[in-house]
Amino acid sequence: MLWLYLHFPHLLLDHIRRNREDSRPLVIVEGSGQRVIQACPDARDQGVRAGMRLKTAINLVPELGMVRAQPEQEAQILEDQARWLYRYAAHIVLEPPDGLLAEIGSLQKLYGGLPAVWQTVEQALNEHRLTAWIAIGHTPLAARLIARAGKGECTADKGHILRALETMPLVAAEFDGKTCTRLQRLGLNTLGEVFALPATELARRLSPETLARIQKIQGTRSDPQTPWQPPHSFRQQADFIQEIEHTQGLLFPLQRMLSELEDDLCWRQQDTDSLHLILRHRHEEDTRLRIQTSGPEHRAEAFLNLIRLRLEQQPLRAPVVALVLSVKRFLGREAPTGQDLLGESQDLNEAWHTLMSRLQARLGEQSLKRLSPRADHRPERAWSASEVQQKHKTRLAAPEHLPRRPLWLLQGPQPLTEPPAAWFAGPERISGGWWDGQRVHRDYYIAQLQSGQLAWVFRDVREGWFIHGWFG
Amino acid sequence: MSELLNTLMQDARVWQGHRHRRTTQPSESTGYQVLDNQLGGIGWPRGALSECLLDAPGIGELHLLLPLMQRLTQAGKTVFWLNPPHTPYAPALAREGVDLDQVVMIHTEDAGDLLWTLENCLRSPVTGVVLAWPGKLATREVRRLQLAAEAGSNVCVLFRERRYAEQNSPAALRLELTPGDHRDLKVNVIKRRGSWPGQRCSLAMAHRADLAFREAPRVVQVPWQHTQR
Repeated sequence: MLWLYLHFPHLLLDHIRRNREDSRPLVIVEGSGQRVIQACPDARDQGVRAGMRLKTAINLVPELGMVRAQPEQEAQILEDQARWLYRYAAHIVLEPPDGLLAEIGSLQKLYGGLPAVWQTVEQALNEHRLTAWIAIGHTPLAARLIARAGKGECTADKGHILRALETMPLVAAEFDGKTCTRLQRLGLNTLGEVFALPATELARRLSPETLARIQKIQGTRSDPQTPWQPPHSFRQQADFIQEIEHTQGLLFPLQRMLSELEDDLCWRQQDTDSLHLILRHRHEEDTRLRIQTSGPEHRAEAFLNLIRLRLEQQPLRAPVVALVLSVKRFLGREAPTGQDLLGESQDLNEAWHTLMSRLQARLGEQSLKRLSPRADHRPERAWSASEVQQKHKTRLAAPEHLPRRPLWLLQGPQPLTEPPAAWFAGPERISGGWWDGQRVHRDYYIAQLQSGQLAWVFRDVREGWFIHGWFG
Repeated sequence: MSELLNTLMQDARVWQGHRHRRTTQPSESTGYQVLDNQLGGIGWPRGALSECLLDAPGIGELHLLLPLMQRLTQAGKTVFWLNPPHTPYAPALAREGVDLDQVVMIHTEDAGDLLWTLENCLRSPVTGVVLAWPGKLATREVRRLQLAAEAGSNVCVLFRERRYAEQNSPAALRLELTPGDHRDLKVNVIKRRGSWPGQRCSLAMAHRADLAFREAPRVVQVPWQHTQR
């Protein structure tokens, strides 16, 4: 087994920087807001260092952007990284707060050698605009220690790896404080000197745990790792240092998130028809938006257009501090079917979905209706309107057997105020609805009014006359 | 330059009073031979606006468009109903052979949404015909719609009140619809491209209430008198 460790020295910083258009110096401060934990290269150029007091940093760089570190947010961000790494390696272990471990021994054949694996990962890191220190080790701990020391090399040679470990100071080996002090009191300074001690003595003088750790680094004791399983959903978050007040400002980070969604969907070989967008505000409740397409979709551009339309319709309630995009519903991607020789029908289908999605995004889903007849004698219940979703095929058994009805039905019967000029057909008695309390008992006639309109009129039980439809 | 002029003449955009030209603009037959003849053998212009001006529903205005709707929905094109004043009655449409899968009814809140929706529908290749009841429209807005219609190649029919007949309009075809004496529909061509307007014809529409074969009323006893107080 061979392990690759990715150590992200400033993950939160990278995460925030890649969602920004401007490039002002940026630092991450610890929870209490006293000290700088991470500083971006720009800030470092101007003298800001990790561990510096925040006041000093602000004096050095007055236009400094600051973000407070939040542990739960970091865990989320780390998982985002695991998600893309999962495309390259199957066995991934999360090492909170800032590390990822991947088993790469089994990948060598697939990628054609260790250097190719290394290169692939580095390229992916570049694409995601992340800084990471990479190292390879024959055990998980060895890889971790070398990566965190920043001494990673692309080699599978066990001897080479052990030599690199042996030169490391004890502090870098991540023993707990007490053990470290005890080892130093014994006159040991590097890991190599600890490796040289006999195991039984080490266990007796220090503790079995310390021995276990050393053996795990060396590889003489097994160190099983539970692989991480990617969740069956997509989630991306963008955090902003400066609150975004205009819709336009949201589109830049959205573009990146949506293109990652597109990659993710392509990789899953799936489509989706609904996106959830959460806009976090500082003092108000989150705005939740549900963006729906009328059919399966995976293109970032199409999603972006819909979101843009939706945001135009719905101005921001308050400035946005964070943006979360999630997709929980996945649909199998359909093979292009029913395509004719010129590929026209497929295009039309897609154009139909695009148009419907656009209309729904601007007007709301309830504004678009599809009509269908229903099996009921009562005219007002003999039809139904449903939302336009998938293009479905409903076949009527025999439409020509339906009774003659007017093309216009009034929303509700209107009183007939004048005697009609002529009577043409009737009466047709419609009586029903005793089973659900919506009793209808009417005699329908076709009559022409003085104005020349051909109307569908009825007389109800109380001898009242009403117009119910027009023969348009 | 002369080529440009030729195009203008060919599309009948320049009105030449002294002669009738057959235009080459794309169109859809109305399905009524009489009306097609009056319109110079063409019909509903595609890629242009048409207006139907009428006072009240129920005079056969939908039946005027029914042959077109049947043809287009069966060809897989979508028919949009924008802000219809009443509910298009699904069983009746199905009976007339309109494929309801291709019928989409849209309601918009305000005039801005309406214009936007119309433009989007007109530009889409899936659209067959858009029927719209726009209410009040400024001439500038009709012009905007005309441009949108030109961008696509679909039929767009606006239903407006008859009092707008006096106003001028950039629509390519304007028909005034009035009820006739025998359940027929009188069509008066107010404007058409490439020729004189003023043609009148009457379309038999009695079949819309199954009255085609029996002119005599089928009501034996007229019911209203009994109930009149």
